[in-house]
Amino acid sequence: MKKTWMRYAGLVMVAALWLALAVFAWVKPADKSSDSERRPLEQFPKITGENVLSGGFSRDFADYAVDQFPMRDSFRTLNAFWNYYGLQKKDNNGIYLHDGYAAKMEYPLKPNMIDYAAARFEDLYRMYLADTDCKIHFAMVPDKSYYLAEPAGVLRMDYEAMSAALQEKLPWANFIDLTDSLSVQSYYRTDTHWSQDKILPAAEKIAESMGAKAPGGFAQAALDREFYGVYYGQAALPMAPDTLRYLTWEGMEDCEVFSYDTGKTTKIYDIDKLASRDLYDVFLSGGMAVQTITNPHAETDRELVIFRDSFGSSLAPLLVQSYAKITLIDTRYIYPKMLSEYVEFTDQDVLFLYSSLVLNSSSTLKK
Amino acid sequence: MLFSSIEFLFYFLPAVMIVYFVLPTKARNLWLLLVSLFFYAWGEPRLVVLMVVSIALHYGWGLAIGASKSQKMRKLFLICSLVTGLGMLGYYKYADFAVENVNAIFGTAFPLPKIALPIGISFYTFQILSYTIDVYRGRVEAQKNPIDFGCYVSLFPQLIAGPIVRYIDVDRELKNRSTGMEDFRLGLRRFLMGLGKKVLIANQLGAFVEVFRSSGEKSVLFYWLYALVFSLHIYFDFSGYSDMAIGLGRIFGFHFPENFNYPYVSKSIQEFWRRWHMTLGGWFRDYLYIPLGGSRVGKAKWLRNVLFVWLFTGLWHGAAWNFVLWGLMFAALLLIEKWVPAIQKLPGFLRHGYVLLAVGISFVLFNAASLSQAASDIGGMFGFGHVPLVTAETLYYLRSYAGVIIVSIVGALPFVKTWALRFDGKWIEPVVMAALLLLCTASLVDGSFNPFLYFRF
Repeated sequence: MKKTWMRYAGLVMVAALWLALAVFAWVKPADKSSDSERRPLEQFPKITGENVLSGGFSRDFADYAVDQFPMRDSFRTLNAFWNYYGLQKKDNNGIYLHDGYAAKMEYPLKPNMIDYAAARFEDLYRMYLADTDCKIHFAMVPDKSYYLAEPAGVLRMDYEAMSAALQEKLPWANFIDLTDSLSVQSYYRTDTHWSQDKILPAAEKIAESMGAKAPGGFAQAALDREFYGVYYGQAALPMAPDTLRYLTWEGMEDCEVFSYDTGKTTKIYDIDKLASRDLYDVFLSGGMAVQTITNPHAETDRELVIFRDSFGSSLAPLLVQSYAKITLIDTRYIYPKMLSEYVEFTDQDVLFLYSSLVLNSSSTLKK
Repeated sequence: MLFSSIEFLFYFLPAVMIVYFVLPTKARNLWLLLVSLFFYAWGEPRLVVLMVVSIALHYGWGLAIGASKSQKMRKLFLICSLVTGLGMLGYYKYADFAVENVNAIFGTAFPLPKIALPIGISFYTFQILSYTIDVYRGRVEAQKNPIDFGCYVSLFPQLIAGPIVRYIDVDRELKNRSTGMEDFRLGLRRFLMGLGKKVLIANQLGAFVEVFRSSGEKSVLFYWLYALVFSLHIYFDFSGYSDMAIGLGRIFGFHFPENFNYPYVSKSIQEFWRRWHMTLGGWFRDYLYIPLGGSRVGKAKWLRNVLFVWLFTGLWHGAAWNFVLWGLMFAALLLIEKWVPAIQKLPGFLRHGYVLLAVGISFVLFNAASLSQAASDIGGMFGFGHVPLVTAETLYYLRSYAGVIIVSIVGALPFVKTWALRFDGKWIEPVVMAALLLLCTASLVDGSFNPFLYFRF
């Protein structure tokens, strides 16, 4: 009798757990977005005849059901635990952890992507730079895995081949090797980016290569809000947050950043972005197609143009001291042929600054 | 709708079950019919019409066969059933294949009809034909109630991926069945075990197969790992789905036939096919092989019968030459086993090894997108094409997937079931069930890799 009772009490509890999750899923109000994954969540799909008959409704509902499932983040963490610690997988959806750092396994090197990136840079060179007195430099920012993959025992992309291929394809640029100016500590533990307070050696090397004054005289400040980077959400494993630190100097407050995308003038560190999903947006207000930084305290009238990805947002402020004006261009957001409306290339210093992550997935660069 | 999906587990199934158990017994088949059509329409909104037409047609053919007094008329209506059933299957599944081959042979350029394959058509066609054939043979009476017949054909637990349930197996339960607490417990347990096999093991193995396919640095070791992992993947994927179907059937009071019985412990190909997709093998045996004369005929006819059955077994799995070759490969192996009895006298471990090798290679052929890919994959296993023995990438994925590969190898052995049954009804059973539910939910919520191989059949 006792055995029978036990047998069915357990069954009832399992069924109750199942039903409770189901009812919770039915009644839970839909969330608009996921902070940890930094993306909008699927909303209940519209019911129309065409949508239903085409199968679109059922596909969208499947996405909605997954996105809006109760305790989604906790379930994602449970799954990451199971994969990482239960099954001992080396990576979870391509994200791995080592020494408290989360990184994306960037593998393998995609030669067609490097060719595509080089072709886009060549386009820019021919369109705007070939017939000018601009001094052109190129620096590849190695992603975290350059330093972390080997000790973590995960696959490591052939960065040396990437660098060699770019040097061969872009003979008009002076290559600046940043690999010995950085280490894994130069990066946030939970994010893809480098941490501004740790990249002074890289900034110094770039400035030296361009014949500019070495940056210096900085004071360090930190944001109050904890910084959970993009890998935190993707790894879905418990990790301590980063602190977002930034460097200030005397006169920095007088520098102005103008974004052509928004038509707004802001400061170098945009504190309004403290409420942003991605705290890294504090640097130059995040991803923009064309921006200028003007420095009224510059000792020279030199100008710098940086073709860049998001890594440039935290590096550019460190180069401002030597330049009266820095123009930042991100061709992931603007067609190169439109640049003549914003920049006149004459004799500026020009820096191509791209991370190995963007170079190896370069289809985002516009033609 | 996949069983292993959030919308099925937490929207469809709980709602269906609550209403089912609240309804009076008489209304339950109608409810199952309606929700089964909804289940099918969810994935195939337009092609559900085809299913309704199939149900109506074969309900009529069954009645006509049952009501006919003369053998001639009974035969005529059976032929009508076979022509319409196999005609639909042929049109939807094999039209493109036929046109492709006509174009290749005669140098013509007929455009491909590009007909979408209705999900589960191979399964439900075989179920329907088992009904009309059995009515013709007088083994069962024609079903007069269209709701009961529709319920049999469309019953969502086994609608799209089997097991292939014959009408004779569920005839009695369609009219009269009950679900006690014990049925519910065993059904739920079986369903969750199947869900775990599918979501926690098969999906991980499937991710390895994807990695292999997209790798640009293959090695001999990688090809062998692929053969091993895909063999395990297809087993856990399909047997997991069958477990879920059998479990759901039990919850609703049906006793579906078993479909898998630890096939990888087999010591001959003949034994393997007695343990792998048992309901399909049984169907071909009872509705094709034996009617053709089986083995009680001359050698030439018997050879023809074997080749026929395996040719059709291959074609049933897909309209492509690799499936034909896959079927014929098993025919050849079975003939060799028959003609070379010395094989059966080899030590057990050698026979076991031979079966695993043959089955592994057969699944590489099975999973190839084309014959040239099959040749390249099988060639790669034996070092053809200047493939290195091992690469860093191979070793990385071996290390990364070692855990799930070991779990799946152990899980494919029968001792696990024997061991687990010691805990039948003990406190640990619901704990394991709850853990499986939560882990599977976590995997699905995380949007992990979740295809289902047998949907394409």
